[in-house]
Amino acid sequence: MEEMKLDFFELVKRVDTEKMGDFIKYDREKCNGCGLCALVCSFNIWAVKQGKAKLAVRYQDLCVECGGCWEVCEPEAIDFSYPAGGTGVVIEYG
Amino acid sequence: MEKWDVVVVGGGPGGSYAAKTAAEAGLRTVFFERGRKSGEKNSSGCGLGQRWWRDFPDMMTELQELPSVRKIEMVVINLIDEHDRLRYRSGTTGSDLCANRWTHGMDGISIYRRDLDPYLADKAVAAGAELRTSTLVNDVIMDNGRVTGVKTETGESIGAEVVIAADGAMSTMARKTGMRNRWGGGCTLVPQLDFGCNEAKMDDVIGNAEWVWFGPLYGTYQVNFRDGFHIGAGQWLRQDWDEKPLDMMKKVVGIPSFQAMCRAIEAKPREYQAHMLPWLKKPPKTYMGGMMLVGDAAGFPCPLEAEGIWHAVISGREAANTAAWAISKGDTSERALAEYERRWKASDLGKEHEFGEEFVNLWNSSIFDPKLMERQIQLLLEVSMLHPFSIVFDWGDAHMDCFNQHLDHLMELAPEFGEFGKTYIAPLARGIWPSNIKKILLAAKPKIPALRRLSDENYFKVIAKLVKKLAPYLDPAAKQNAPLSREAYKAGGR
Repeated sequence: MEEMKLDFFELVKRVDTEKMGDFIKYDREKCNGCGLCALVCSFNIWAVKQGKAKLAVRYQDLCVECGGCWEVCEPEAIDFSYPAGGTGVVIEYG
Repeated sequence: MEKWDVVVVGGGPGGSYAAKTAAEAGLRTVFFERGRKSGEKNSSGCGLGQRWWRDFPDMMTELQELPSVRKIEMVVINLIDEHDRLRYRSGTTGSDLCANRWTHGMDGISIYRRDLDPYLADKAVAAGAELRTSTLVNDVIMDNGRVTGVKTETGESIGAEVVIAADGAMSTMARKTGMRNRWGGGCTLVPQLDFGCNEAKMDDVIGNAEWVWFGPLYGTYQVNFRDGFHIGAGQWLRQDWDEKPLDMMKKVVGIPSFQAMCRAIEAKPREYQAHMLPWLKKPPKTYMGGMMLVGDAAGFPCPLEAEGIWHAVISGREAANTAAWAISKGDTSERALAEYERRWKASDLGKEHEFGEEFVNLWNSSIFDPKLMERQIQLLLEVSMLHPFSIVFDWGDAHMDCFNQHLDHLMELAPEFGEFGKTYIAPLARGIWPSNIKKILLAAKPKIPALRRLSDENYFKVIAKLVKKLAPYLDPAAKQNAPLSREAYKAGGR
């Protein structure tokens, strides 16, 4: 039986990611290194290194704009706002 | 500075319906959508239930014609055990008796948001509202603690008598005004995976139904559209979150009976998204001076199953009507806009949230507990074996012996659920209408020799004295076709 191929990254459509702006702000000082941001993230834009979270440099190319990392960050080290109008993830089958 | 009567932030169902209602009331209205068109940002859906026929019959008639629609008449429940085996598949729907309640019986529809949202936005534009797409509103203008307008990402300032914030779960307006920051545990995250399918095969295999996949390891909805479907799972965003979103999806996709379904309808993965979905016991405050929150921004999704489109549209309508009323009397202060909360609480939306605490507690304490779910499924399977159809097909022993063995299993399992029943099921009993309690008691009356000669009125008086828990239902002052309040129910004692 043929196994179903699942390449999740290929299944997200994006437009004009270079124009999205800096919609995630991260305050390293406030981070407590709990790693929940990395756990809730679909495409690993967060990684915990030496007790602190680290945000991928070009996170705009990976982020699905769910805001999960912001909601789950107890020390409020992560601020998420919507990317610029008309840019980023486009949902055709929501 | 540009100045409008009403500025609506967000062009989803709540924003568009608010803009439509405001424009129809003669208010100068503009609404902003950050996507290139409505429906393409962070959206999920989307089942429109039977109450759409009751509340919006004309729109429902038109919506049937849109390309992605599948008519929905029932829900198919798939129960998967801890070994990934399909153990139970059953459909649930109302009988034809329901035709008395709604013009279209149990029928609803599934529709992709790329069809629904632009349709609703067009309605608002046709009513005279102005739509600005690809425009992010990212700040508020405040004066003396009240909202007087918004700012767009290009720094443009736009004044408003009233701002209606329909800007989703992460509402910028709610955050910038200080009404709220994070949800703090009341919000779920939902990964969702869409599949394109062979339409004719979907008709044959899936039919006019939504599907769900439940089990100790799964809690997944499957919304079926004309030529595709999506599955979604998720959890509350709290400190006990324990799984990567993609792993949740992979787990469901790996269920052998799910794979079988995919083969039968030629399902191919088509799109992945993840979105936040507020799922609250109680929406926080929904208004302040000059501004009201609607839809997900207000935390309105249903506390039982978290569907939120109808809730967004109803709250959008109530907010716009409140705006029209407040502007006409020249007072859009916080005190005046408190009227909004009174209105939505009095609507069906408010009725749903009267059971917020009970609904969220029930869901939260069952579906995410694998051990409990495992036993619950055993319980359900044993109950299902007592059904006349089931007992005919159990050939393990003489049929009556089979029946007694299943009954025996059931009696062994049942005590485990005593605490669960007392904590999470019993509080829902206040939702039973007094009229139905009376019907049940009257059916029992002829079987009780000591009481059967009493008049109905005296019979209820005696029962209320004997069974304190029933007293609030039998109080002559109680509303007959409405749930008891939490206070009245508790006053009944144990």
